[in-house]
Amino acid sequence: MALPLLSRSLAGLLVESSSITHQRTFSVSAVAAAIQKMTRVRVVDNSSLGNTPYHRAPRVIHVYTQNGIGKVGDKVLLAIKGQKKKALIVGHKMPGDRMTPRFDSNNVVLIEDNGNPTGTRIKVPIPTHLRKHEGEYSKVLAIASAFV
Amino acid sequence: MAVCGKGLNKMMFSLSLLRNLRLRNERFISTCLCRLSPHEEPPKFTPPSKPVIVDKTQTVASLRKFLSPEFIPPRQRTDPIKFSMERKDMIRRRQVLNIPEFYPGSILAVTMSDTNAAGKVSRFVGICIQRGGTGLGATFILRNIIDNQGVEICFDLYSPRIQKVEVLKLEKRLDDSLLYLRDAMPDYSTVNPDMKPVPISPTGEVPFNDIKVRMRPKPWSKRWERPKFYIKGIRFDLSLTTEQMEHAQKWAQPWREYDMLKEYDTSELEEQIFNEVQQNTSK
Amino acid sequence: MLAWSGRFLLQRGPGLISLRAAAESPAHSVFLFRTVKTTTWFDEHLTEDNQEFMRKTIAEEYRSQTAEKLNPLKDEPWQRHDWAEGSRRVGLVAVKLGMAPIWTKAGEKHVVTLLQVQDCHVIKHLSKEEFNGHTAALLVGGKNVSPFFRSEEHIEMFRNAGVPPKQKVTTFKVSDNAIIKPGTPLFAAHFRPGQYVDITAKSIGKGFQGVMKRYGFKGQPATHGSTKTHRRPGASGPGDAAKVFKGKKMPGMMGNISITAHGLKVWRVNTKYNVLYVNGSVPGHRNCVLKVRDSVLPNRKSSLINPPFPTYFTEEEGDLDEDLYDENLFIQTDPSLSLT
Repeated sequence: MALPLLSRSLAGLLVESSSITHQRTFSVSAVAAAIQKMTRVRVVDNSSLGNTPYHRAPRVIHVYTQNGIGKVGDKVLLAIKGQKKKALIVGHKMPGDRMTPRFDSNNVVLIEDNGNPTGTRIKVPIPTHLRKHEGEYSKVLAIASAFV
Repeated sequence: MAVCGKGLNKMMFSLSLLRNLRLRNERFISTCLCRLSPHEEPPKFTPPSKPVIVDKTQTVASLRKFLSPEFIPPRQRTDPIKFSMERKDMIRRRQVLNIPEFYPGSILAVTMSDTNAAGKVSRFVGICIQRGGTGLGATFILRNIIDNQGVEICFDLYSPRIQKVEVLKLEKRLDDSLLYLRDAMPDYSTVNPDMKPVPISPTGEVPFNDIKVRMRPKPWSKRWERPKFYIKGIRFDLSLTTEQMEHAQKWAQPWREYDMLKEYDTSELEEQIFNEVQQNTSK
Repeated sequence: MLAWSGRFLLQRGPGLISLRAAAESPAHSVFLFRTVKTTTWFDEHLTEDNQEFMRKTIAEEYRSQTAEKLNPLKDEPWQRHDWAEGSRRVGLVAVKLGMAPIWTKAGEKHVVTLLQVQDCHVIKHLSKEEFNGHTAALLVGGKNVSPFFRSEEHIEMFRNAGVPPKQKVTTFKVSDNAIIKPGTPLFAAHFRPGQYVDITAKSIGKGFQGVMKRYGFKGQPATHGSTKTHRRPGASGPGDAAKVFKGKKMPGMMGNISITAHGLKVWRVNTKYNVLYVNGSVPGHRNCVLKVRDSVLPNRKSSLINPPFPTYFTEEEGDLDEDLYDENLFIQTDPSLSLT
């Protein structure tokens, strides 16, 4: 039958076409580690600070937890474009509990000191278990585009 | 790029048309055949048998012999009663929840209850890249790319939070573990979340997809070219030089395959467990 | 060889010895008196057929003894008492099968250890005076073993109770109203879901280990000029004392000691196969024999509400379900959870 043949060639075409426009994903730290000091992270909101290109990737310079290990929902301090800026972790490479998502990059959202987000939209899906921190970061959750 | 996309759309459209046409034809033939029968014997009226309309969008239960890999106990000095106790629970769970046959490389949709999700229910569609664990602790990993962000979820197969497991596309790939899709081009793991299930034939061979993926440039999360992974589904010729491939062979351990102590023949065990599962599920 | 012949001669009558002694050299006869070994292998004087017969009959006898589920001693039963505050029940001897996950009705995942109670019997009752003057005790054994290659004194204890010999025998301190007649079989239903237990077993042996693995010492840096000092204990005490204090943590044998895990919840009990599902991990390797008893933790004692006292008797409560579950446990036959 010609149908499967056609579909296969179509799939091949699809692969070829999208690979041309493919963008390199962000360089990130080792898989097994959670977010700690000097972890390079990816800013996923649309704030101008996080999106303008800069020769040095944003790095975590402090994690506001007891043990210095950051997971989803923890607050971190970033060194971004020569400034210090607070951010909220919204996804990491390290696998968490079963039935919770694991992301291909370490994602953060920039926040002000009072917990309000700097940007107006989050471009990537957000894990639903961030909703446990509903009261603190309700404004961050409000600007999320998708949950997974 | 835009032109290319438009062309693609057209092709997709024509493809769907073709499929529709085929479906309609089949139905037409089946009804025609049934109506012919009363004309042959006019005095005696026999009601025409109802045309059998097969809804191909619905997934049908597989009829081929398949035992889920988590039923096979690992080779260790554990009392077999432990595995039989677990197996009993697994069969009881399977009587409540339909867990279909699937393999790494198949596309699945999992509906699970989630206290934090909007409707208390969340659905995730993705390609299964690995099946792991034995017994009640069996897991599988689904991977998808949503908004250019790779997302993976590791599901517990026997978790009561899982409400539905659908196989959207049943397929086998060259490898048992597709973890290298993390380092492959993103379109190999991109699945449309609104995908319609592809009709599955309940008998015969499982469709086999011998696609070989193109990788992103190095560094990768693991050195997939090393012999210990023994990966067949990567086009190494595109990303590595022949010198690099030869260099990787330095870690080859060809004597391993002749290690008779590592042989674990499960065929007999499999047969036994399969019969047990069949007996209990048919009750 | 000499020793063997010596023992053989000892067992046969003195007439034989005198006959032999005359024939043998004097050096041999001196050796005779030094090998005084009164025991024999059970199959020493048996033909192969007889050995096989012995093995078969003994195995059958023991199987019937364990399958009976009733006390083999036919004299009148001991008097039963009621549960009172502060009563101390007997425990069980169980075998560790392995670990598995379970889920609660809230959708949370927990991990449990499966313990099977195999052929657990009360062996002996020690009264207060016999034991230590403070409390009575019961000897409980678990997991049948072969009676062969065991000393007569060891077997006698089991013969008195009318049960097969056991791999492990432990002592449980019990209150006076909780004593049970020797020979009584004990089952997993002795514990009920929702209660808490303490489990004692021998931990996995790690051999001779340094202080970093054994006690979690920090060690010394790998670089920065440190030579031959990377995993060493460092100082062993203050200089003024001029000695090393007793109990100083040093390298040594790690593991293979008796460890108790306290306050583990019983999630589920299978009465058919006598399996306990106990929360979390317990000490010991797979298939090790361990000791399970009611928790001594003061806050967990209240979980013991109306337990089977002094133990669970099959003839009284024979209509128990095959599986007893904790109220929060998800049962596999239930439909999938829809959380709110």
